[in-house]
Amino acid sequence: MTGRRFALGAATILTALLVQTTVITRLALPGSPPDLLLVLVVAFALVEGPLSGMATGFVAGVLADLMSDHEVGRIALAYVVVAFLVGQFGTDTERSVFLPFAAVGFASLGVVLIYAGEGVLLGDPRITGGAVMQALVSTVPYAVILTPFVIPVVGGLIRRLDPDPVRR
Amino acid sequence: MRGSARLRLVLTVLVLSALTFTALDYGGGQGGPFGALRNGVNTVFGPAQRALGGVARSVGGALGGLPRLGSYQSDNNKLRTQNDELKRQLVANEADQRRIKEFDCLMRTKDLEGFTVVPAAVSAIGAELPFQQTVTIDVGDRDQGVIVGRTVISARGLVGRIIRVGRYTSTVALLTDPTFSVGARLARVGSLGFVNGGGSGPLTLELARLDDDGQLKVGDALLTSGSSTFVPGVPIGRVSKVSTRSGQLARTAEVESFVDVGALDLLMVVVNGPRTQARVALAPSPQPGTEVAGCTVVPLPTPVSTPAPVGTTSPGPNAAGTASRQPAAATASPTP
Repeated sequence: MTGRRFALGAATILTALLVQTTVITRLALPGSPPDLLLVLVVAFALVEGPLSGMATGFVAGVLADLMSDHEVGRIALAYVVVAFLVGQFGTDTERSVFLPFAAVGFASLGVVLIYAGEGVLLGDPRITGGAVMQALVSTVPYAVILTPFVIPVVGGLIRRLDPDPVRR
Repeated sequence: MRGSARLRLVLTVLVLSALTFTALDYGGGQGGPFGALRNGVNTVFGPAQRALGGVARSVGGALGGLPRLGSYQSDNNKLRTQNDELKRQLVANEADQRRIKEFDCLMRTKDLEGFTVVPAAVSAIGAELPFQQTVTIDVGDRDQGVIVGRTVISARGLVGRIIRVGRYTSTVALLTDPTFSVGARLARVGSLGFVNGGGSGPLTLELARLDDDGQLKVGDALLTSGSSTFVPGVPIGRVSKVSTRSGQLARTAEVESFVDVGALDLLMVVVNGPRTQARVALAPSPQPGTEVAGCTVVPLPTPVSTPAPVGTTSPGPNAAGTASRQPAAATASPTP
């Protein structure tokens, strides 16, 4: 991985974080807001493989954790695990048009469940059955809707740096 | 699978790191090993969020939904773009008009005597996960008197309290956050209780004493009772539904808050108020939440013996950032 590749990762993560906190949450869509960062992490995992996805997920997750009110590491853990799993998906199956959508939907589901599971273990009073359900029915479809806008862009950016990205 | 051992190693290392972070940060509150890092992230992102927040406020208002994104595909002529741009400016104008009115109402809030407030604007909303209800506001510890625990209000009533202060921005836990709890007093009869945030559900009121039961009615207004963390007399909401189950120790009710947490924009941080229960008549006139000249009236009580303000009192020199846009700290003069 070159310096330019790292710069690309950092730039996309920072942009996504800013857009997430200032624009997306402000749209006040019904239910819980779409998770742009997660779609970005899945994009890296699909295009470059699980290693890249996990690294992106860890950095993005820790930053998101630092900007929020819960314990640091909770979103990071969820992102790392789903990036690993999505990375496996990508290598094992024939690439299809629907793969990114399925991967994002699956990852979004996984993140909510992992985050909620950690909350239960830590005794987080915010995690209730109702809140988890509400999160699932809104954030998963929102993430899938974001997929066609994010994944081609990330793929395009990576291929500009390296026309034949090695999956790691 | 080639390299899968290395992958699993990386997975293990990252997962263990995340878990270690969580364990270290658990119960850390404002301080903890990550306190400095959190403040650092706030310091770095705060100004960008403030700047983007202004843009997003107009654009977000203009979008109001995403159906417009599709129309960008047909970018066949310049005029259309120009037209769209003009339309966007119109809507942005409308948003500005609304903000001016909101600010106007905020500044004309009744009976602010004895309170010092710092105006603030919402610069970011929540985290990306839905379980907590917080907003980021554009004042931080550069602004005099903004510290953890301060009450945050809008022109309509109680918004929440500050739970974290960074250099340029602060985090406010909204009164709808499931962990939120505030001492409340029924404006009509004076009974004390607690209002708890309900997350996705409604706020709930729990009266402290059993014999207060008969006096609880739908439509009763609730004010903060005042405590070490909340200034007294801030309108919270109205009782919207009284639960009629008998045999309960504390009578509970559902409460509808005066503020709409989905539409927060201009707020005030109460940086200095009477820290003890103000000795005022609890029949504020006009009634809390009534509309006067388009503004919802917030009847903050006037303390009888205004305690000589100590510490962060005067509406004095405030941080440059806030001062340049808005009055730095506004202490309303006594109503004529």
